[in-house]
Amino acid sequence: MTKRKEVLLEIKDLEIQGYSDETWVDIIKGVDLTLHRGEVLGLIGESGAGKSTIGAAAMGYARDGTRISNGSIEFDGMELTTASESEKRALRGHRIAYVAQSAAASFNPSHKLIDQYSEAPLQYRLKKRIEAQEDAMELYEKLRLPNPQEIGFRYPHQVSGGQLQRAMTAMAMSCKPDLIIFDEPTTALDVTTQIEVLAAIRDIVDEYNTAAIYITHDLAVVAQMADTIKVLLKGEEVEEATTKEMLDNPKEDYTKSLWAVRSFKRDQKERPKNATPLISVQGVDASYTGGAKVLDNVSFDVYEGMTVAVVGESGSGKSTTARVITGLLPPSKGEVLFKGEPFPPDYRNRTKDQLRQCQMIYQMADTALNPKVKIREIIGRPAQFYSGLSGAALKNRVDELLDLIELEPSQYYNRYPSELSGGQKQRIGIARALAAEPTFIVCDEVTSALDQLVAEGILRLLDRLQKELNLAYMFITHDLATVRSIADEVVVMQHGKVVEQGPKTEMFTPPHHPYTDLLLSSVPEMDPEWLTTLLEERGVDNVGDAATAQIDPNDPKIAG
Amino acid sequence: MSVFVIGYYTLLLAVSCLAAFYNKRQIFMVAFGLTLVSFILGIVGGTAALQAVAICAGLLGLAAMVSFAFREFLIQISSAEMGKELRTAPMTAAFGMFVIFVYIIMGIFAPWIAPHGEAEVIASAFAPADENMLLGADQLGRDMFSRIIYGARNSVGLALAATIAAFVLGALAGLLAATKGGWFDQFMGRVADVIMSIPSLIFALLMLSIFGPHIHVIIIAVAVIYAPRVFRLTRAVAGNVVVMDYIEAAQLRGEGTWYLIRREILPNSTAPLVAEFGLEFCFVFLLVAGLSFLGLGIQPPTADWGSMVRENATLISFGDITPLIPAAAIALLTVGVNFVVDWMLHRSSGLKE
Repeated sequence: MTKRKEVLLEIKDLEIQGYSDETWVDIIKGVDLTLHRGEVLGLIGESGAGKSTIGAAAMGYARDGTRISNGSIEFDGMELTTASESEKRALRGHRIAYVAQSAAASFNPSHKLIDQYSEAPLQYRLKKRIEAQEDAMELYEKLRLPNPQEIGFRYPHQVSGGQLQRAMTAMAMSCKPDLIIFDEPTTALDVTTQIEVLAAIRDIVDEYNTAAIYITHDLAVVAQMADTIKVLLKGEEVEEATTKEMLDNPKEDYTKSLWAVRSFKRDQKERPKNATPLISVQGVDASYTGGAKVLDNVSFDVYEGMTVAVVGESGSGKSTTARVITGLLPPSKGEVLFKGEPFPPDYRNRTKDQLRQCQMIYQMADTALNPKVKIREIIGRPAQFYSGLSGAALKNRVDELLDLIELEPSQYYNRYPSELSGGQKQRIGIARALAAEPTFIVCDEVTSALDQLVAEGILRLLDRLQKELNLAYMFITHDLATVRSIADEVVVMQHGKVVEQGPKTEMFTPPHHPYTDLLLSSVPEMDPEWLTTLLEERGVDNVGDAATAQIDPNDPKIAG
Repeated sequence: MSVFVIGYYTLLLAVSCLAAFYNKRQIFMVAFGLTLVSFILGIVGGTAALQAVAICAGLLGLAAMVSFAFREFLIQISSAEMGKELRTAPMTAAFGMFVIFVYIIMGIFAPWIAPHGEAEVIASAFAPADENMLLGADQLGRDMFSRIIYGARNSVGLALAATIAAFVLGALAGLLAATKGGWFDQFMGRVADVIMSIPSLIFALLMLSIFGPHIHVIIIAVAVIYAPRVFRLTRAVAGNVVVMDYIEAAQLRGEGTWYLIRREILPNSTAPLVAEFGLEFCFVFLLVAGLSFLGLGIQPPTADWGSMVRENATLISFGDITPLIPAAAIALLTVGVNFVVDWMLHRSSGLKE
């Protein structure tokens, strides 16, 4: 990039404190940051590293319960730490804009998109309503939204997640700000939609020469977007370098460990010969009360001690399949066999022993653990319920389980879930499933809410447990890196149908089913040129929804 | 210019100046505002008005000191965890807790605290207060003070019993409706609608005139009237909990409805329910007092604040405040409970300032 000239934002020795347990605790411990006009800075780090806090501070904003205790934030010659509230407010939306992680939650559901777009230009008296609307349509077109003339007159719930995120970007661009802060804009999106949002954001930032701070925990994504990358750890800067240098030649150990995360691999297992599958889903159709079919003739087998990964974008019926297997949603057609015996379709009709065989680990450990129950009971209850343990035997069993998930029993025995970190909570969720002594566990996106290092730990744990206890997993995920590391077999789903299935090695070598191909090629890679190359290969208009729609129904792979 | 007036202004101005010096904006505004208002009050009302202001301020200060000390006392005697929670309580909540505490002591130890018996006639009707009777006598010559103390036991006890009954009924139905769903939920909802559509006082009067004004009839009637409100709240709160993943996990484990309610749902919905309990208690208390006032509540000679207001109501036309004393006892408790409930609501909703 040759555009960088003058300094736009300069943060010096920034310290931010948060209020907890009646004292002020340092969250950001002296971070420096310099951003030039037209430059994109990537901020990466685990959750709790203070990425979003710095992003908010760049607008001179301290969230509830936090305060900027030291340092200076200078935006285009204006000191934000001492500026009055009204001065800061005049900047926000006009010269500094913010794009939040969840566009669906950030739009007001009762106003049309274009009205929300024109709110800021009208507020700052930059444009008349009609002009702002024409502007919006132009931007929508540049962001490659379908029907740019018309899409703005829809309500937020009438457009898809990827489109909404682009509309949000358009909204941030509405006053042609000097700086945009992107706070994990694609984290909540599928890989296929992520690409179109990334491409759109990159183009628009380039075109208007806007500076941006791009906050994410996904290295591959930030590699596509940023000119420079800054790595944060627990409120402190680890290192900063240009993207290329950072990727090729990281200096600090912590950065290297981040880079190495995706290295976990294990040997692929083969199906046992002449064995009955542990779980066999046969020709299952399912729909939610009276609605359209969510699952259409889904069949696959899971063998003892093996991991089957079910992949697909959101809405493809992955979780619904899990609900059918666990009995939460009785299928309208077809059945689920357990070791050759049919499982009663409704979980209420299953015996205790049938229930214990099939356990579940949830995506959001926060909602999966009762916040008012102590760890010892969360884990102890299944053991008590199924095996009738009590007293010292129960305590021993809980200790054993805590040992199994690598948590020190005496320390965690009496804690509440809120006193644990995200990864620890997920481990407790695993322990609860293990307490029932199952043979089959459904893992529903177990790692997608976790940081990469923590997720890696969970995957290793699951792998170790599988070896020790001979468990079978059904691993629901949209993250193909996870699939590569842990799966033995892969089932690809789209629109409630299984489009392809087979052993992992087969699935990751061509020829693919076109949808599998699309999924695979959409996963960001660490190469900073990846997005550019991909867009050249596929063509700018052939990403995301458009690409899904363009799959040729007569492709020989589909028929086969 | 009396010494009082000079002292009065000196004190106010001194406080204002000190507050200004130490940069305490709020205290300064209150103190100096009061000084300015006092100039006008003093001119219009004379020394008497200033004295009234001073007495009010003194009472407020006293109440604040009592609340502060009482909160410290509670923090000292409770466990570390509880103490941390209590520290967040505002002065109003501490005052409310103090009031409730006093009423509880009054109710429990009534026979030892009251100088005279509940139905003991010791003077002539409407005798004025003397060294024997702190608040004078009522329409039959019974000691007003003793009856108020006994009334705490009867009125509050009855209201408490009725509220608990309403809660047991309503919360149980609400939890079951949220867990079971389907036709049971619909059925309970419609039953609640029917009960709520009948005006509560008329419903209570009807029940009491059919079954006679016995204590258990009052309790059951009031419980039935207030159960639907509790039902609605419980169902809404539990409805939010039932959709959580941990409930699904428990259901998949094969847990029974009772375990789900007791161990999984109830612990996660207690905060709003406790707050609602305080609020409903006030309403029930007022309804019971109203029934007593109409002569259908607790029957004489048992002392009860509601009926005490009615019995002494004639005195109000003579400018005597005696009938207002039991009314004030009702008001004080209601206000006190509401203060505590406000704090609890604030905590359960997680609002900050």
